[in-house]
Amino acid sequence: MQIFRPGANTIALLVLAAIGATPVLGIGLAYRITSSPYTTNQDVTRNQPVPFSHDHHVGGLGLDCRYCHTSVEKARFAGVPPTETCMTCHSQLWTNATMLAPVRKSLAENKPIAWRRVHRLPDYVYFDHSVHIAKGVGCVTCHGRVDRMPLMRQAAPLTMGWCLDCHRDPAKALQPRETVFDPTWTPPPDQKKAGARLAAAYHIHTGHLTDCSICHR
Amino acid sequence: MPQVNELPTVASPVMEPAPIDRRKALGLLAAGIASGLASCSKPAETIIPYVAMPERLVPGEALHFATTLPLSGYGRGVIVKSIDGRPIKIEGNLRHPASLGATDLFAEATVLSLYDPDRSAVVLRDGAITSYEALQQAFLGEQQHMRANDGEGFRVLTGPTTSPTLLRQIGELLRTYPKARWHSHDPLGDPAAEAGATLAFGRPLHAIPRLDKARIIVVLDADPLGAGPDQMRNGRGFAAHRRPTTSDFSRIYAFEPVPSLTGAKADHRLALGTNEIGEVAVAIARAQGAAVREPAIPERARSLVTALTKDLADHRGAALVLAGPGLTAETHALVHWINTHGQAPLDLIEPLARTPEGRAPASISELTADLAAGKVTQIVMIGVNPAYDTPAELGFAAALPNARFRLHAGCYANETAELATWHVPLSHVLESWSDIRARDGTASLIQPLIRPLHRTMTDHELLARLVGQADARSYDLVRETWRSQGGADFENWWSQALHDGVIANSAAPPVSAGEPVLPALADAAPKDEHGDEQGHERLALVLRPDPCLWDGSFANNAWLQECPKPLSKQVWGNALLLHPDDARRLGMAGGDVVTIASRGQHVQAPVLIEPGLAPRSASLTLGMGRRKAGAIGSGVGVDAYVLRGVDSPWLVPSVSLARTGRRQAILTTQNVVRRPDDVRELFPVHQLGKPQALPKTLAIDDRPSLMPERPRPDNGHAWAMTIDTSLCIGCNACVVACQAENNVPVVGPEEVARGRDMHWLRVDVYDHGGSGDQQLGFQPVPCMHCEHAPCEPVCPVAASVHDGGGLNLQVYNRCVGTRFCEANCPYKVRRFNFFGYADGQEYANLGLDPYRGQKNPEVTVRARGVMEKCTYCVQRISAAERAADREGRQVGADEVHTACQNACPTQAITFGDLQQPDASILRRRTEPGHYALLAHLGTRPRTTYLADVRNPAPDHGGGGT
Repeated sequence: MQIFRPGANTIALLVLAAIGATPVLGIGLAYRITSSPYTTNQDVTRNQPVPFSHDHHVGGLGLDCRYCHTSVEKARFAGVPPTETCMTCHSQLWTNATMLAPVRKSLAENKPIAWRRVHRLPDYVYFDHSVHIAKGVGCVTCHGRVDRMPLMRQAAPLTMGWCLDCHRDPAKALQPRETVFDPTWTPPPDQKKAGARLAAAYHIHTGHLTDCSICHR
Repeated sequence: MPQVNELPTVASPVMEPAPIDRRKALGLLAAGIASGLASCSKPAETIIPYVAMPERLVPGEALHFATTLPLSGYGRGVIVKSIDGRPIKIEGNLRHPASLGATDLFAEATVLSLYDPDRSAVVLRDGAITSYEALQQAFLGEQQHMRANDGEGFRVLTGPTTSPTLLRQIGELLRTYPKARWHSHDPLGDPAAEAGATLAFGRPLHAIPRLDKARIIVVLDADPLGAGPDQMRNGRGFAAHRRPTTSDFSRIYAFEPVPSLTGAKADHRLALGTNEIGEVAVAIARAQGAAVREPAIPERARSLVTALTKDLADHRGAALVLAGPGLTAETHALVHWINTHGQAPLDLIEPLARTPEGRAPASISELTADLAAGKVTQIVMIGVNPAYDTPAELGFAAALPNARFRLHAGCYANETAELATWHVPLSHVLESWSDIRARDGTASLIQPLIRPLHRTMTDHELLARLVGQADARSYDLVRETWRSQGGADFENWWSQALHDGVIANSAAPPVSAGEPVLPALADAAPKDEHGDEQGHERLALVLRPDPCLWDGSFANNAWLQECPKPLSKQVWGNALLLHPDDARRLGMAGGDVVTIASRGQHVQAPVLIEPGLAPRSASLTLGMGRRKAGAIGSGVGVDAYVLRGVDSPWLVPSVSLARTGRRQAILTTQNVVRRPDDVRELFPVHQLGKPQALPKTLAIDDRPSLMPERPRPDNGHAWAMTIDTSLCIGCNACVVACQAENNVPVVGPEEVARGRDMHWLRVDVYDHGGSGDQQLGFQPVPCMHCEHAPCEPVCPVAASVHDGGGLNLQVYNRCVGTRFCEANCPYKVRRFNFFGYADGQEYANLGLDPYRGQKNPEVTVRARGVMEKCTYCVQRISAAERAADREGRQVGADEVHTACQNACPTQAITFGDLQQPDASILRRRTEPGHYALLAHLGTRPRTTYLADVRNPAPDHGGGGT
C-alpha cells in the first residue's frame, strides 16, 4: 500500500533543504539586523531642544566647523559648543525668535542645553578626532554632507566593519589637510593615487592601523 | 415594599479571585511581550555642554596642577592630573624635595579618599544633623565666654602640623586668648628622638639624614626606606649608590627586632631585641673613643659590630648611623654623638611645629591630665582622632566628656566625633587651600583641584571663626601668610609658587648644634627575664605603623586595605608576628587567635609566623581595628593602640600570650619564596667582591619556536621595561599607582580568601639569605609582554593578540572568559573578573556613584567574565603616539612613562622604546646582571630585570669595594 503520494518526495526534499538553510539564513538575518539602520541608527534624524540647522549655519552662512567644535584639532572630542558660543551671534541676531528661547533660557538660568546625542560609539572605543584631522580625514568622510542637513543625522553606520574599511585602506579617504573642514570638497578622479601620495606624505603606515590597541584599551 | 439591598452584607461569589481564563492569559502574554519589546528600545542619550566654557579646559584632555599632600604633618609635593574637572591621578613633583618626582602609596591613594562616600558632609550636634547657622551661634556664645576669662579652660588639639598658615593662626589664637593652650598629638611621633636630641644638644633638633652622601649606613631599629613622609627622599638617596656601575657602592648594616624594608635591602641584617640594639650603639661609640661603659652585645652580633666599626672608621664623613623610635633617648643621644664625631652626612634643623612666636605645642598627656582634673571647659580637636589613636592606658576617651564644649573637626565622623558635642566636616586636601612644610622645612602651597564635594570647611576657616573672623576664606588666609615673602610683586610670586608646587629657598637652614653631650648610660640590662612568677611566657611587643594604613587615618581606603603588606603580603587585616621558635615553644601555629595582654589591657589577634623576627620579640602594627572608619575600614584587623604604653610608645616591654582556641585564616595574596632552588632560579643575586663576576648581559634566548618570528608588522616601536631589583625597596607605590591609573578594582576580603585579587602588578619577595638570617629581595612582576606569548595561541577568540609595538594586548570586548590564557601564562600575571568587581558587583560601597569620579576615562572599566592584565599603560603610549602624530614628529626616546615607573621613588623601573638608539632603557639593558625571568621557556619577555646586587663586608662573605 502506498502511504505517501508521489508529491511527498518533493516535500521531503524541501523540508531537508529548509533544515539546512534555516541556520544559514538565520545568521544572515541576524547579521543584517545588526548592521541595519535599525541597530546602527544610521540616517536617524533626532529632534533637538533647539532645531539647530547645520544646513543654514554651515551651508548657508559658511561657518567653519571649528567655530563651534573648538577642540576637534586638539583632543579626542570635537566638543559641543557652550551656550555662550550660540549667544556670540544670537545676542545680536534673532534676539526675540521663539525658536531660540531655550538658548536664552540656558544663559539666563545658567543651565546647559541638553542636546540629544546623534553619534554614539561604544565605551570601549577610544576614537580621536584630532589625529584623523591631522592625517587628512575630512569631516564629511564620516559625518556626511553636514552642510545639507537641516537637522543632524548620523550619515555612516559607525560599525567596526565600517571603521576597518578605511583603516585597511586609508588612501581612499584621504584629502589634503587644508581641505578637511571644507564640506564641499570632492575627491579627484585619481583619488586612489592622490590618496596614496597623501598617505606617504602624512606618514600613515597602514600595516598597524588595524592593531586592536589603535582603538581599544 | 421589597428591601433594596444596596450594600450586600455577604460576600458575593463574584468578588472571589477568578482563576486566570484563556482571554486573560493571552492578554497578559501580549502585555509581557509588548513591554519586553519596549524595554529593548535604545535609551536616548544627551550631551550636556557648558553654559560658559572654563578657560583652558579641553574636553577629555588632562590638566595638571601642583599641590602638596600631608603625611603626619609633613608635605610631599605632587602633581595632580585632572580630566574634565575631576582629579583622577596623583603623580610626583620633580621640584619638591620630599617627592623628587616620585610618589608613595598614600599619595596615590589620596585621590580615592576624595570620592569616599563615607566622608563627613554635615555639621553634627550630639550626633544629630544641624546647620552652620547653629554652629555659628554656638561659636558666638563660646567666644563671649572665652573673651570674659581670656580663654581659661580653652584648648586646641591639632595633629602634627607644619603649616605656616595654621601655625600663624594658632599664634593669633593664643594672643587673643592668652590663657588658652595648644596641644598637638602625633600617634606616630618619635618622642625618644626629640628627647635624645635634647640630651645631646640641649634642644629638640630634628635630624635630616642625607642618604645620597652616605657610603656606610648603620640602621639601628630605624626604617628610613619604610613608609613615611621622608620615604621618597630617602629612597632616592639610597638608590644613588646601589648601581653596580657606580664605583661608590654603599653598604648598609641593619639591626632590628622586626623585618623592615631597610632591613630587607641591607647588606647585613641581624635580628636583635631592642635592648640589644642599644648595646650596639654603645659598642660603636666606644670603638670611636667615647668614654662609655663596656657594651653587652650578644655573641652573634660581635663580629658584625667589629666589621661595621671598621667600616665607619674608614668612611669618616660618609658614614651614617640612624636610630629608630623604639630605642631609648640615651641611645638617640649616643647616636648623635657618633654622627657628630664621624661627620655624618646629616643636617640638624630646628623643629618646624612652632608658632611664629616660637611657641611649641603641649602634649596630649598634659591635655588628658587637665581634662581629668576638670581644668578644660572647651576643646576644639582639628583633624585628629585621639579617641582611637591614643594609648588606652592614657584614658583620653574617658576624660574627654569632662569638657563642656567639645568640638571635633575632621574629614570623617570618627570615634572622636562620637564623643564630641559638635562635629564639623573638614574639606579633603584636594579641595582645600593651605600650605605645609616638608621634613627639611621646604614650604609649598596646597591648592584645591575641585570645589568641595560637600558643604565642608577647612581647618583654617574653623580657626578663623574661633577668633571672630566669621567669613574668612582659607584662600585669603594662606595668601595673608605669604604676602610679606612675596614682596612687591606678590601676584607673580604667588602664581610661580603655585605653578612650581614649591616655595623657593624655604628649606630650614641646618643649625650647628655644637659638641653633643654624652648621655649617662644606665647599666646594661640584665639578661631578659623570659617568664614571670606564674611561669607565663613573656615577650617584647614591637609596635610599628601599618605599612599600608599608616596611623589608621587611611583605614577607609579600599586600595590601601587591599594593598599587600610589603613583607607579609597580608591584606585586609593585621596579625601578631611571632618567631617560629617562640611559636613552637608556646604551642601556637599560624592562624591561631591569641589573647595579647599587657598591663591590664588585652586584644585578640591571629598569629602569623615570621622567621625574620628577633627571638622573644613579637610585633603588631598600629592603624587597624577602627570602630568608626566607614564601610570599608570599620572592624578590619586588631587595634594595637590598646596595648600601647604612654612612656614607651613603640615597645611594650612585656606581653603575655594565651591561646583562645579559635582559628582565623590570615588573608595573604602570596607567600615569600624561600625554597633555595626556586630562589636560585628566579631571583639572581650578586654579591660584590665575590669571585664570580656579574653575569654577562643575557642574549635574548633564541630557541626554536612555533610562534612567528615577529608577530605583527612593526610600527616602529618596541616597548619594553627593565626593572632593577637592586633598587626596588618593595614600597608598593607602583602597585597602588597602577591601580589608580588603570581602574583596577578591589575584590574585598571574601574574594581574597578564595585566592583572587586583581592587582596588575605584584611584588614578589624572595628570601636569598640561605641558611643564616633571612635576606629579602623584591621583584615587581607586571605582564612580561612576551614576544612569543604563551597566552596568545590558546585563546579561541583571539582576544589576546600582539600589536605592532610588541604589546601583548587583551581585547576586552572580544574576551569570552575561557581563562585558557591565564592557565598558560608562566608568569601568572593575568587577572580574571570572576564577578563584576568593577561593574555592578563591587565590594561594600565601592559601587556608589561618587567613586565613579575617580575612574580614568582613558581606560575601559572591565566587566564580569573578562580577563585583564598589565597593558604597559597602553593609554599613555597611545596618547604619546597621537600627540606625536598631531604634531608631525616622532615619539621622543623617553617620552612615555608608565604609572609604575613614575611612582617609583628609587627609579628602579625603566620603560622605553628599544628601537630608539638613545632610549635610556637600552643602556639599562646592557648593564651587567641583566636577565629575563624564566628565560629558558623561550617566551622572549619584553620585561626584563637587573640582578639584585649586595655589597657585604669583606670579612663577612664579600670582597669589599
